[in-house]
Amino acid sequence: MPDVRNEIVTLLNDSAMVASIATLDENGVPRSAPSPFLRLDEKGRLVHLELLETSTTHRNLLRSIWFGRPVSITLTGSGDRVLVVSGQPHKAHVSGPLFSDYYREVRARLGDADLVAVWLIEPDQVSDETYLVRKEREEELYPFHRHLDRLAVQNS
Amino acid sequence: MSLALVKMSRPSPVDELAARYPDVPRLIIVKTDVQRRGVHYAENALGLLDERLHQTTGTHIFGARDGKIAARPESLLLRDGSSIITTPTPLEENPYVVDLRDGQPWLFDEGVPMEQVDYWPAPAFYAKTSSSGVPMKNIVSARPQRLNIFPYRYCTFWNNGKGCSFCDIVEQLKKGNKELQIPAKLDPVEVGEVVGEALKEPGRFSSVFLTSGSIVGGTRPFDDEVDYYIAILKEVGKNFRTFKYPSQMIGTAFDKEQLRRLYAETGLTSFTSDIEVLDEELFNRYCPGKTEWIGYQEWKRRLVDAVDIFGRGRVNTGLVAGIELAGPHGFRSEDEALEKTLSEAEELARQGVSTVFIVWSPRPDTPLGKYRNASLDYYIRLARGLHALRVKYRLPIDHDSYRNCGNHPDSDLSRLLPLWEE
Repeated sequence: MPDVRNEIVTLLNDSAMVASIATLDENGVPRSAPSPFLRLDEKGRLVHLELLETSTTHRNLLRSIWFGRPVSITLTGSGDRVLVVSGQPHKAHVSGPLFSDYYREVRARLGDADLVAVWLIEPDQVSDETYLVRKEREEELYPFHRHLDRLAVQNS
Repeated sequence: MSLALVKMSRPSPVDELAARYPDVPRLIIVKTDVQRRGVHYAENALGLLDERLHQTTGTHIFGARDGKIAARPESLLLRDGSSIITTPTPLEENPYVVDLRDGQPWLFDEGVPMEQVDYWPAPAFYAKTSSSGVPMKNIVSARPQRLNIFPYRYCTFWNNGKGCSFCDIVEQLKKGNKELQIPAKLDPVEVGEVVGEALKEPGRFSSVFLTSGSIVGGTRPFDDEVDYYIAILKEVGKNFRTFKYPSQMIGTAFDKEQLRRLYAETGLTSFTSDIEVLDEELFNRYCPGKTEWIGYQEWKRRLVDAVDIFGRGRVNTGLVAGIELAGPHGFRSEDEALEKTLSEAEELARQGVSTVFIVWSPRPDTPLGKYRNASLDYYIRLARGLHALRVKYRLPIDHDSYRNCGNHPDSDLSRLLPLWEE
């Protein structure tokens, strides 16, 4: 995977950034959910916090670490910048100093909230899904995908 | 030379089992095999152990498989957040080896790296002493998410030599007294004090666990045990704003009135009473004290009675899985053992009682210590079977899960039980 850590970090530092995580259930049905605490750790892994033991995302992440299923994280920032990161859950921290630090942070932000696990996700692919970037690329590589009216002479 | 450098030439039993049972996660198969075979800590791995950061062996009510008391990791955490509760085992018994790989502890099987693990983190209260000057970790111990209270480190079934054949609680008590200065019987007030200190660490604990040896004394048999538990649970309860708090007790199979008292007078929210083996003849043979004072059929009846009081999904029983196959009196085949065990577990599940197992770890100071435990295949089939019963009879096992215990491969599988209430 190319080193795109800087791009992810830039987006994570964007105050307008919204993150979501998509996982697969036992039947392969995708499920997307917000990931409001998402960040990158010092080893380049994405850190996703799960607040509920019975949430579908938490159970799907467990399924992923057990059976090698991929997950996908979408970061949307200002200027319609979009990065999609796919990867594999590497580890769930449920105890210890790292867990305790995040537990305190969650409660500082949300009040009487709990934390179930700190999931570390190892990215294996990052794609830039920003619309203007994708549009330019597609029109260069796949000219047959355009509607002709967009190429037609403009008659006023 | 590092013990991890010897190469294995045949396929790993774990990978064979993972291919045979694709519904069982490889991590759970690894965990089960490590429990089955034990671990040996290489010197490099022990070099990473830091008593300020990690929990070390010595506080548990039962002993290690190699019979030694020495500073080694209490147990291990896997990447999915579950624990492997295992004991140091002599190298000649072919245990897994914990050694370092890129500076991290890993499990190795005959030189092949199997899984990265973490040592259990030490809780903050382990560094403190109680008001009477006892190290707090000798009063209350910890798992990654649970507080352990072992208030009485003796079992009165041993008074007339009728302790369970796989149990080394008395031998461990002698060692604990001599080498670790662990009190044999805890003062309830002091237990409450330590729990209060433990709760100052945010996000560390999600349940309180209590167990001791059986105490037969009292107006009715086991009244003394019940009274003692109630005294402790009340002191523990003073630390909470709510009367009930997430908690589990493994006790003797108490009668209905004793169970009512436990539920009504304390914050206890679940009840476990270990029948150890699901076969009457083997129970009579290997648990003579339980047979003398309660009996096999009555033990099961009392488990069912407990469901009326604590509720479905809040009562279970534990098996020391593998003793049913040990020695000349055990089942002749694993198929036969599995059929009998699951059939009796289903009878209990139908009545609201869940069954979990621990992998029997033969300990040197016990009558059954010279025998081997069962095959990995047997334990995986047993885990699948017990989990399937919970699915069939809609029995949650939250109180004895990976968070609140961590010692049962079958309840690890049940992390993905259907959410029936939703």
